[in-house]
Formats: sequence, structure tokens, C-alpha cells
Amino acid sequence: MSLNSVLKSTTIADKILLALLILVSLSGIVFVKELLPEAKRVMIEVNGHPVYILPKDKDRTVSVEGPEGVTVIEIKDQRVRVTESPCHNKLCIRQGWIESGAIVCIPNRVVVTISNHEDESNKIVDAITG
Amino acid sequence: MQLQDKYRIALLSAYALALHGFESLFPTPVPWLRLGLANIITLTALVLYGIRVAITVTLIRVILSSLFTGTFLGPAFILSLGGGVTSTLAMGIVLSITPRLFSIIGLSLIGALFHNIAQLILAYLLFIQRIEAILLISPIIIFLGSVTGTVNGIVSDLLIKNLKKGDKKIQNVNK
Amino acid sequence: MIKITENRKPKIEINKFHYIIHSVHYLLFLTAYCLLVFFLYSCTSHKEKIYRKSKIVMDTFVSITAVSDSKAEAEKAIDAAFYEIERLEKLTNFFSENSELNQINRNAGISEVKISTDILNILDKALFVSKNTDAEFDVTIGPVSALYDFYKNIKPEEIEIKEKLPLVNYKDLIINKKKSTAFLRKKGMLIDLGGIAKGYAADKAEETLEKNGIRSGLVSIAGDIKAFGLKPDKRPWQIGIRNPRAEGKEDDVMTIVELSDMAISTSGDYQRFFIFNGKRYHHLLSPKTGYPAGRCQGVSVIAKEGVSADAFATGVFILGHEKGMKVLEKMGFEGLIVDNQGKVYTTQGIRGKVEFKQRS
Repeated sequence: MSLNSVLKSTTIADKILLALLILVSLSGIVFVKELLPEAKRVMIEVNGHPVYILPKDKDRTVSVEGPEGVTVIEIKDQRVRVTESPCHNKLCIRQGWIESGAIVCIPNRVVVTISNHEDESNKIVDAITG
Repeated sequence: MQLQDKYRIALLSAYALALHGFESLFPTPVPWLRLGLANIITLTALVLYGIRVAITVTLIRVILSSLFTGTFLGPAFILSLGGGVTSTLAMGIVLSITPRLFSIIGLSLIGALFHNIAQLILAYLLFIQRIEAILLISPIIIFLGSVTGTVNGIVSDLLIKNLKKGDKKIQNVNK
Repeated sequence: MIKITENRKPKIEINKFHYIIHSVHYLLFLTAYCLLVFFLYSCTSHKEKIYRKSKIVMDTFVSITAVSDSKAEAEKAIDAAFYEIERLEKLTNFFSENSELNQINRNAGISEVKISTDILNILDKALFVSKNTDAEFDVTIGPVSALYDFYKNIKPEEIEIKEKLPLVNYKDLIINKKKSTAFLRKKGMLIDLGGIAKGYAADKAEETLEKNGIRSGLVSIAGDIKAFGLKPDKRPWQIGIRNPRAEGKEDDVMTIVELSDMAISTSGDYQRFFIFNGKRYHHLLSPKTGYPAGRCQGVSVIAKEGVSADAFATGVFILGHEKGMKVLEKMGFEGLIVDNQGKVYTTQGIRGKVEFKQRS
């Protein structure tokens, strides 16, 4: 009974909007994965500052310190995941392994991105010797 | 009618806070899936009592809930505030410019959409300056937002209809 | 829904009441807003910031960084530090007739020359390094280094080198600490401080910064770097070591070391060089052969003082990785050696801290 009356009150504009949004977002989900260039490097930023730029093909575990505590990131078999984080909702850990794209922990201000990161080492270094 | 508004605001805010608290008790299996139940209250307030009441309820809900959880002025608060205000304003503007174009469900969808867009933009500007990360999660967030927006819209629709019926009953009794 | 019964009082009084309530509301809101703004502002205004200035001094790119919560203090300190470097440049300039260095050079084989404390310190350290690098570091290389010109790509003939080589011998440089004098025994001897002066200048510049109230900063004179204190985010300074065979911006930095209260210096065959007939001629000359040393591509040394890091980097480069590594260990320095095949050797202390970027 109630559902019917609800459906009656929906307008055409509603349906168009909904259809549009579903379409755009679904295609977005598919496309964005394709559009991102082949990613070779893992960059870990804390508070907007790059802290590590590491190759994706070398297994290792690193930890970074953010305002809330230590976040531990693991690179293994060309994939990346966050294994420990001091944040409240642990969304970053729950994302699991990623092969491209990013994992973000907003409370601890940690951003892990997989991309090419070519001349970004200049953002980490304060000076160059040599 | 100021006093009546104040009562309504207080009551609605209480409901909104309760719903928000209730919702946060649920574990979220999928990250970023927030039901946004409090938006039902916001939308109801908007449709029945106008944008001023709706905005006030939103502000009270966002500020008080962040004070209660100790995240006041933190990142979650900023995102919540930005999203909430933007979505309420968007719904309010659509409602006042083209009141018949969208139904309650459509309004809820618009609210959810603007809520998410605002949060994505804020997150990009303030917290995650990597556009790739934002681009990657945007479609998923918008998709989930559309789903929850629709569901919330349906609930709001039912709620509003019920309330209007109740109002009519009271008016009839008065007469 | 709640039913409200209207008040029977006259309307004017209600308005006044509401007006007062509203004013109080606005006032409270305004106060809260102001407090918020003030709170946020005060959180940012007293933060320590990084100030940096760069100039060409000592014929090279010099960059001085100071951490301070006051722009005025930082700028004053940085300017003082630059002034100090410029002062030292006047003393040590091989190409300037009036430098104290050339006073000594002009009097080679003639008489001892009274020298300033700075020159005395530099020469003293230079002799020390010579003794500890098997004489591969030698500031008396002047006569031979003057035969090369890396701007005009000029290199000497073998006979010219043979002629000047006997003049290269650190043992013929006599310094007297009590009298504060220096004397070059043979006529024609020349001191070239190219492999040590910048490191010394970095030390003095850092001292100047500290004298001016700066507790954390970075002095970078070409690749001779002195880092002290910690950055505002409480982390050490991140120093990139250049890849000797970098092909572009991407592999420019091959590794990053973290430094605090240490100096690092790098000697490389890619800093001043030209290629002739397929051979690379660079500025790190062996005092024993007179030719560019060919055992390494690049050497970086980390030491407490810039003057040591600079001189030992040069010496170890010429020595090669086997003997060079032993020298580093003996002196207790950390270091990184890239041999002429491109293979990288590091001392124990560096091994864990360094990130090697993948060389494609």
C-alpha cells in the first residue's frame, strides 16, 4: 500500500535523474580503472608531504607516522595494503589489497597512491648532494 | 510562529541526533556506505517547515554529534558540515525554484548527490591532494549515494505523508 | 504534533522580548565565531617555518635554509651566513690574485706567509686527510689542476703533466700552528683548495646560522651539505644523493639519506668533465698520476664536519672502493661509493636507512 503511493508520487524528473546518476557512476567505476596509467611506484604521503616513493615490485613493509599514530603499509606481489592504522573506523585497512589507485586514511592524514610519480622525489628531498 | 519553530527544531534535531547515533552503531561492511538516516529528518524539516528550520536542524545535528563523539573541528566534522549544509541548501533551492519538478524522492537524491560532491571536493582540497585517489572513489561514492538517497527518499516520503495526515487530523479536530 | 496556544499578551511586548533574545543569540554566535577564528589563527601563526635563500657564491650554487618562527630572524641569519661564505671565498679563491691562498702560492719556494685562522684550519685538515688517504688527497695538486680547463675542455699533454708532477707533494707544505704561517718549499708549487674549501665554508656558514639564533637548518654549497637540527615536522633533513649516470629528472636522485647534525659531501666524475676521444676527463685528479682518477663514478661521505666530508670524499674517490671503504671505516664515517662499473657500496650505518630508487 505505502510503496504504491510512494511510486505514484515519483516524477519523471526523479526517474531521469536516478537513471543518469546510476549510468554515470557505473561507467565511471569501469572507466577510471582503465584510465589510470600503468602504475609502477607506490607513494606514501603524510599530511600532504611525500615520505616514501618506492618501487611496486619490491616486497617490503614500511611505517609512517601521522598525527594519530603509526600507519603500517605493506607492499607484496605488486600489491599494496595498509596493515595497521590508528584511525577509528579502519576503513583504510578494510580496503584490503590494491593494485592501482589509492588507499586513504583521513584521520591519520596518510595517502598511499600507486602511480608513476616520476619527478616527485624532489618533493621529498630538501637538498641534493652530488 | 517563532516559538513553534523552535519546538520543531528542537524535536527534529533530537530525532536527527538519535538517528545519527543509531546509524553509527552499525558496523559498515563496505567502506563509505553511510546510510545518512539523519537526512530523512532534514528533508522532512525542509518540506514541512522550510529551509530555515532545515538548516538549523542540520547545523545542530552536525555540531552536537561531533561534540558528543569528540570529533569537533576534526576532519569528520568538516566533511559532515560541508556535506550537510550543501545538501540542505541544494534541496532547499530546488524546492523553492521548481517545487513540482522533483518528488520527495528526487529531492532526497539531489541532497545525497550534493552531499557527496561537497564531501569529495572538501576531501580533495583539505586532506587528500591527489586527484587520482578522488577520481578513483568518486563513481563508487556517487553510486552508493544514489542508492541510499533513493531509499531515504522513500522513507521521507512516507514520513511526510504520515505527518501531513496527522496534521490534517488535528486541524479537523480543531474545526 | 504539538499544539501551541497563543499568548494573549499585546503584540508589542512579544516583539521586544524576541528582539532581545535574537540579539543575545547573534552576540553568542558572533563570539563563538570570533573565538573559532582566533583559535585557528593562533594555531598557525607561531609555527616554525622553513626559509630558504639561494645565491651564486664560490662559483657555484649555494642554498641556505633556516627554520625559524620569525621571518626577520631567518633572513638576518641567512644573510649573515652568506656574508661568511663570501668572506671565505675571498680567502680561498684560486683564481683571484688577492686571495690569501695565492699569497701563499706566490711565495712558494721563497718565504713563509702569515695566514688567517681559517686558512690554517683548512690546511691543517688537508694535511690530515692526505696522511689518511695514502696521499691520494693532496691540496698541492695546484700545478697539475691548473693544466686542465673544464670550461674550454682543455687537457694537458703527458709531457706537461710529467713536468709538473714533482711539485705535487703534501709533505712539501709546511704549516706552523704557533706562528700561524704556511710555506711551500718548492718554487712553482701551488695549493688548490677546490676539494676542501666548500666543506669548510659549509661548516662556518652553519656556525653563523647558529650564532644568529637558528637551531635548525641546511647549508648547501654545490653538493657539500651541512644539516643541523630537525625540520618543523620533527624529522631529519632528507638529502638526495645524485645518481652519477642519471639520464634525466626521473633517476636523478638514486637514494635518500636522513641527516641531522651531520655533513655530507659528494665527489663525482660527472660534476666537471668533458669527453675526448671516448675518454672522460674530469676534475678529480690523482696526485700520483696527474690524470683523472678512474676507479669510481661517485663517492659520498657523511661526517660530523663538512671540511672532513669534502676532503675525504675527494680522497676516497681517488682511492677507489676497496681502500676507500677501509678509510671510511677507520675514520668512523658513513659513506657510499659507486665504483666505475656502477656498483654501489655502502658503509654499515647507511645500509638500513637508504632507499635505492630502481634504476631502469
